Amino acid sequence: MRKFYEGGFQPAMTRREAGLILGVRENVHPEKVKEAHKKVMVANHPDAGGSHYLASKINEAKDVLLGKTKGGGSVF
Amino acid sequence: MAARLLANLLVIGGTVLGRAAVQAYRQAIVNANKTGAAQEAINGIRRASKAMTEQEARQILGISEKSTWEEIVQKYDTMFERNAKNGSFYLQSKVHRAKECLEAVYQKPDVPS
Repeated sequence: MRKFYEGGFQPAMTRREAGLILGVRENVHPEKVKEAHKKVMVANHPDAGGSHYLASKINEAKDVLLGKTKGGGSVF
Repeated sequence: MAARLLANLLVIGGTVLGRAAVQAYRQAIVNANKTGAAQEAINGIRRASKAMTEQEARQILGISEKSTWEEIVQKYDTMFERNAKNGSFYLQSKVHRAKECLEAVYQKPDVPS
């Protein structure tokens, strides 16, 4: 059994955290991101016993990995 | 006479350069504070504390202040199982930590469980 990650979510989502949430590498192909997003979203959908908070995190992770928002507030 | 003039010039030039260097250094510190080097340090400390707030724990499991312990366990079980099968290990960890956090809250004697 792997050791669980400690603590809560980071104050600002980084590409690293986004990759962890969707279970993909940071620089994976956009198609794979969409695929992973769909899979994780189905598993955590609010209508099927998931929570809205996690759903919003999953959507944010997809946006960060697809470059729609600036990840982590980094200037680079 | 010429040598003395030259020496004077050298001294003055040196002082000006020194002052400029000190000012540049001060400006660099101010800039670093503005761009959030200090903020970064604070985030680092927060991450090191490795704690989840009760509020975030409730959000993660999607439960309200009034939920009973049974409701929490039920919710936790479904979310944990679903993330084990199709979700991600990271989210599963968060669900687990959220339950851990609320467990501590609900085990206080004054809260009905």
